[in-house]
This record gives sequence, C-alpha cells and structure tokens, in this order.
Amino acid sequence: MADDIVIQTRNLTKIYRDFWGRKKVRALNSLSLDVRKGEVFGLLGPNGSGKTTTLKLLLGLLFPTEGDVTILGKPAVDVTKNERIGYLPEESYLYRFLNAEETLDFYGRLFNMPADVRRERSRKLIERVGLQHARRRQLKEYSKGMTRRIGLAQALINEPDLILLDEPTSGLDPIGSRDMKDLIVKLKDEGKTVVMCSHLLADVQDVCDRIAILDGGELKVLGKVSELLKDQGVTQMKTTQLSDAVIKEVESLLVRHGAQMLEVDHPTTNLEDLFVKTVRESAARPGQRYIPPSSGNNPAA
Amino acid sequence: MSLSFNPTAFDLAAGLLRWLIVMSGVMLIVGISLTLMSLVAVGKTGPLMVVGQIRDGFIDFLGTSPRRVWALTVLTFREAFRRKTLVVFGVFAVLFLFAGWFMSGVTTDPTLQFKAYVSFVLRTISWLILPVVLLLACWGLPEDIRARSLHTVVTKPVRRQEVVLGRIFGFSMIGLLVLAVVGIIGYVWIVRQMGQTPAMRAQLVARVPIYGYKDVLFLDKEGRDKDERGEILKAGINVGDELPFRSFIEGSTQARAIWNFENFSADRLDQGRLIFESSFQSFRTHKGNIEKGLLCQLTLVNVEKNIRVPLQPFIVDEFRRNTYDVTEKNQKGLTDLAGRPVNLAKDLLHDGKLRVEVACLSSQQFLGMARPDLFIRLPDKNFASSYFKSLFSIGLMVITVVVLGVTSGCFVKGPVATLLTAFVVIVGRMARSFMEEVATGDYKDNPQFKMQGRGILDSLIRIPTHKSPTVALDDNWINKTVQLFDNLELAILWAVHQVFPDLGTFDTTEYTANAFDVPFYESLLPSLAVTVGFCVPLILIGYYSLKLRELEAK
Ligand SMILES: Nc1ncnc2c1ncn2[C@@H]1O[C@H](COP(=O)(O)OP(=O)(O)O)[C@@H](O)[C@H]1O
Ligand SMILES: [Mg+2]
Repeated sequence: MADDIVIQTRNLTKIYRDFWGRKKVRALNSLSLDVRKGEVFGLLGPNGSGKTTTLKLLLGLLFPTEGDVTILGKPAVDVTKNERIGYLPEESYLYRFLNAEETLDFYGRLFNMPADVRRERSRKLIERVGLQHARRRQLKEYSKGMTRRIGLAQALINEPDLILLDEPTSGLDPIGSRDMKDLIVKLKDEGKTVVMCSHLLADVQDVCDRIAILDGGELKVLGKVSELLKDQGVTQMKTTQLSDAVIKEVESLLVRHGAQMLEVDHPTTNLEDLFVKTVRESAARPGQRYIPPSSGNNPAA
Repeated sequence: MSLSFNPTAFDLAAGLLRWLIVMSGVMLIVGISLTLMSLVAVGKTGPLMVVGQIRDGFIDFLGTSPRRVWALTVLTFREAFRRKTLVVFGVFAVLFLFAGWFMSGVTTDPTLQFKAYVSFVLRTISWLILPVVLLLACWGLPEDIRARSLHTVVTKPVRRQEVVLGRIFGFSMIGLLVLAVVGIIGYVWIVRQMGQTPAMRAQLVARVPIYGYKDVLFLDKEGRDKDERGEILKAGINVGDELPFRSFIEGSTQARAIWNFENFSADRLDQGRLIFESSFQSFRTHKGNIEKGLLCQLTLVNVEKNIRVPLQPFIVDEFRRNTYDVTEKNQKGLTDLAGRPVNLAKDLLHDGKLRVEVACLSSQQFLGMARPDLFIRLPDKNFASSYFKSLFSIGLMVITVVVLGVTSGCFVKGPVATLLTAFVVIVGRMARSFMEEVATGDYKDNPQFKMQGRGILDSLIRIPTHKSPTVALDDNWINKTVQLFDNLELAILWAVHQVFPDLGTFDTTEYTANAFDVPFYESLLPSLAVTVGFCVPLILIGYYSLKLRELEAK
C-alpha cells in the first residue's frame, strides 16, 4: 500500500441481517476505493444508498460481510487507529446530560490528554464552532444545529489527521453550513484528509476534490470533481448580465464561425445535473459504472 | 442466641483450586466449541481467527488505560446522578420515619429487640439498593448502544474492556455511595432506638467468639468415642429431627460433647479472664420436673498434662446467653479432680490446646448442642465493628450484582439483561445452596449427614417403594445403572450451580443481629472470593461480547 493512501477498501460488501441471521438488505456491494492523504473525498448518494454504512465499516463499527478495509495502515477493528481519526456521526450521538465543556473534556480524556491541553482545546473549539454562549448548557437543551456544532467540535478534539464526516451540514443553517465548508477547506489546507458523505450536492461540489457516487450500495461514479464536470464537447462562458440584443449579436457571431448557441440561461448547479443523471441512468441500466481513467483511482492496482 | 449455622473458615487454597478447575473447564469447553464452530463457518482459517481474537484480547487488556476507565466511570456516575437515581435516599428516610413506630416495643427482651432492629435495617438496605443497582447496571450499556452514544465513544481509542470497567466502576460507586449514606442513617437509627435504657444499650456489642477446632466430638452413654464400625463419633443422640442441626447427650450418663480449642494460649486471655458462653438446647422427657432447668457441667481438660478441672455446674437458661466466667465468678481458684490447685495459664493452656467436655447432670433429660453453641468469648468489640462489616459485605454484593448486570447488558437488551440478572441473583440467593446440597449430598449445617437418594431416577425408585433418602439402595444391577445415570446428571447439576454466585455468602445479618462480630475467615473472605472469582470471568465475557458484536441496535 502506497504511503499516501489513507483509506483502502477492497470489495467491501455489507449485508444487514435480521435477528435470525437471515439476509435482509444489501447495503453496500463490492466497494473498492482509495482515499489519498490530504484530499477531501465526497461520498454522494441518495438516502439509503450506503454512505453511512461505508463510514461505519471504515470505523469498525460494523463488520463487513465480505472484503476488507485498511485505514491509516491498520485494520478497521484496531482501536489504536482512532488516535488519529475524528468522526462526526450522522446525528450527533452525544451524552445529553453533559454540557458543551464537559462533553469536550470527556472526549479529551478518552485520548489521555492532559488537563491543560483539554481545557485549552475545548475553549478554542467551542469558539470555533460558535457555541460560547451555550458552553454551560446541557446538550438536551440544544437545537439540532447546535448539537451538530458540538458534534463537530468533539470530532476535532484530538487534532485528527483523518476526519470522517457523516452529513456534516445537515441541520445547519446556511451560515452554519458555510462555516462548515470553510472549515473543511481549512482542514485540507492544514494537510488533513477529509471524507464526507452527503446528499447535498452544492456542499460536495464546493469542497470536494474527488467524489464517489453510490446508489443502492453500488459505486456508480468515481473521479475528480473538476474532471467529472468537464464536458469536452461544450464550451461554457460566464459573463455579466447581457441584454437580449447583445445575446442576438453573439449568436450571429457564433453562426458565422460555424458554431451553435446551445443554451442561454442562468447557471444551475452542474453537479446536481450529474447526480440526477447518474441516479436515473443507474435505474435504467443497473450495474454500469462510469469511471474516467484519469480519475486518480485504480482499485485493480 | 447462637448461630443457626456452623461458621467454617474459608479455605482459600481449596477455593482457588476449585475456581481454577471450573475456569479452565469452562474455557476449554468454550475454546473447543469455538474452534469447531469457526471450522464449520469459515473453514481452515477459522481456528487462526480464534487464536487471533485471544491474542487481541491480551493486547487490549495490556493497553488498559486507568485514565480512560476513570473518565468512563465519572461519566456513568454523572449520568446516574443527573437522572436522579438518588431518590432512593428519600424512600429510605421515609421507611425509617415510620419503622420506628411499628418496631419499638415488639418485645421486652432487649436481645430480641436488638435483633429485630438490626435485621430490619440490614435487610431493608440490601433489598432497597439491590434492585436499584440491578436496573441501573442492566440498562446502562444497552441504552448507550440504542442511543448510539457509544458510537462516539468507541470511535475514540477506547478499548472495549474500558467501557465495561467504566460502567462497572461507575455503577458500583453509585451503589456504594447510596449504601454509605443509608448505612450511616441506619446506624444512627439503631443506636438511638437501642439507647433508651441501660439494658438496651448493653446490647450494642459485637461478641468475638472462638469456636472449637473442626467438629464437636461425642462420647456415648457408655463413654465410648467410636461407634460399632470403629468410626469417631461426631454426633450424639437424635431426638427426632429429620435434619438435626443439634445433637443430644443424655443426662447422668457417660455421654459427653467435646470441644477442642486450638491455638488458645494464655496471652489471648483478657486480663487473665476466661469466659465461656453457651446456648444449649434442653430436651425434656416426660419424666422429671418440667419447671426445673437442666443442669450442665463443663470440664476443662489438658490432654498432654492429663489435667481435668471440673467447673461448678450451672442451670441451662434457654433463650438466654449463658456466660460462664471461669476465673472469677464461680471459682475461688481452679482445682483438679484430686483438689490440687491448677494454674489456668501454666497448666491448662500451656500448649494452647484446651479441651472442654460438656456433661448433662439431669438424669433422663437431654441436652442438645452444635458447634457454635459453645465458644470462648473474647473481649467484645463495638457494635459499629460488626455493623460496618455487614455493610462491607452488602457492598461486595452490590459490586457483584453490578458486574452481572453490566456484563449481561453487553450482549442483550435492557429488559432481557434485567431478567437474566434477576434470575441469576434469585437463584444465587435462594436456590444455590439447595442445588449444591443435591449435587453433593452434603448438608452444610450437618457434616455427618449424607443424603443417599438424590438423582432423578433414584427418586423414581424411592418414591413408589417408600424408601428413605437417608439409606442406600439395594446393591443390584438396576440400581447400579440408575446410580450411574444419576451421577452423570448430578455432575451436570454441580457444574451448573457453579455458574451462579453464592449470594447467600454476603448475608451477614445473622452475625450482626445476634451481636456477633462478623468474622473475617468465615464470612468476609469467602465474600471477597465470590466477588473476585465472578468478576474476572464476567469482565472477560463483557469484553468479548462488546468486541465481537456490531454496536447497532437491532
Ligand atoms: N442497522 C441496520 N439494519 C438493517 N438495515 C440497515 C441498517 N442500517 C442501514 N440499513 C439499510 O442499509 C441501507 C443503507 O443505509 P445507509 O448506509 O444508512 O444509507 P445512507 O447513509 O446512504 O442514507 C438502507 O437500505 C438501510 O435501510
Ligand atoms: Mg446516512
């Protein structure tokens, strides 16, 4: 395994069983992907596509039915890997009878951090996630967004190298999700690796270097965001607002050069198109996947 | 007035050996079945996985961090505290407010009054705390798993055994805190209730007895110490009980009951005083005077120097403690049979071995006795000594129940864990000694009694043929096959009963309520052994349950 590969999964498959051991849901099917050091990797997919399952398999919270995981060079069940990992669960599963300070102090203790370091970090983190005003209130009084923030703070208490975020912006107000995205970018600048999963496409497009799109537990698309979104047969121009007359003139200019004006519109989120298209296509032709050779991922290697 | 059972010193070496045998037996069975199961499930690599898990377990336990355990302990404590578990205090306080009205003046005998108060307090404390810690311990982890808050914990560098230990320590701390507070309330209450008259205050003691070494020996009517088969007599006459705790000697005959005190040298005397206390039972035949108490005589013997010192006879006062001060009250000076003066320290106790022979002097009446019915009474300790030792035992029981609850919460949900733990506690408290008696045929309170008919098939023969369970079956091949099967099934019963902790060990009420100090070797040591002996395997079970399961609520 190359030095810069932080996460490696091979044929990772998860079938949930019921109480009697009967197979119920194939939540993840033969997922193979690598995540490199220093990148922001996005796991995309509709609800129930297996994103959370993937993260839990990476963390050793679930055991794979088939395949295996290497994370930070260790097997997923090795707890010592957690020294360098930060994890924000889907919903912040925290102790509701603790307040923000106690929460961070508690998780800091689990890393055997000395008291002064704990105090210093929790002060900084509480500030960073904007909860100074509520630091002494029990979490059961928190709103969803506030819980999310304290959940993020707890994920960063050990200054992790690898951060796994499950739907980081869910429940956050627009400002909160802006902050979250800024933070992710900042973490990347600090050289940390971030894996986030989301169904909110704008979030992913803004911050991710590479993405994987899952649907029904299958990997559908894997590649660099910039490349996936590039359509070679089309040139797109962004200008300031144009009047109809100017648009007419541009069109005639294009016709003179043998080109064709395809669409004049205000921009939409391109990723959204891709996402919708992928999901539709996967319904029409199951089993097919589209991974450009330059995607930077070669599971067969 | 004395104990209704025979306190025997716990043999730590034998206990340890038995523990090792049971543990290695269980581990062997588990190991073999796991290996076979893994072979079936994953093929040849299966046994390697089993070995790998054992190795991982070792590594994990070596990596246990006390600071992380402490963090989880504090968390558990805080959770229970903030969930207002301590309402128990209130219940307890209310109980005491009202109990005083109902319980004072139950009897005019201060000894019985004391017994009533102490048993009430100790029983209330254990039956109040036990359900609380049981529920807390059984629901803690399953709730943590259901709410998935455990996910956030185990994705930190926390070992699974640290989760288990943190829970155990946290709930134990809660239990012990409640125990300490209600224990002190109870103590103050008893002392206040018993402080009304000097006679009542005098009850607030912890007597320190020295019992005879091993069994009481008997001489029959003709003064023989062996029966027809040449076996040493360990019982006197049975006056008709089917499971006799006491056995009887006939008055005005050669019959004697003999206590041998070992390691009792003169320096253990309290300022030269030697006090015996007895609580023999009188059994009167229709002959003689019913109103008159039975006359009893003790004779002190030093076997080596062949010195026999008969003491002044005394009338047995049933339902009272009969104390007999050898040095002061009854004797101007000790003399032997020939009237020569005898020095207690130099002659009788010179080798630390004192023999006491008991005779009944009332003819045609019978005097009944068991080992705890005669003892040398050392200087009394304070009541606080026995009371707080009883609390200590309850504390050990609390810890054992917490460990049981937490462990079962590692692999089943809250309600099931509660049922499971309650089942183990109830069997361990009520049925375990019965299971042991059936499995081994030995009666705790009566070592010379061995039950013959115990097995299922055996009973099927005895019941229709009206055969007593105390006699052996006829020696023929049917009965031999029956016994073979029964031995197998009794061996299984023996193995099963080992799984249940003997919670009866933790009950020291009988000592404290009868104003005895709680002895270390006979009571506290076996309690400690039960606690430690069960905690070790249970923590292992908890660790592997958490490690080998997905922490998803199903
Ligand atoms: N504990 C579980 N037991 C059974 N099925 C589950 C469990 N968790 C998730 N699933 C199923 O697995 C699939 C993937 O779920 P999940 O990974 O949570 O999706 P996502 O996070 O992408 O929304 C879904 O069909 C879901 O119903
Ligand atoms: Mg999810």
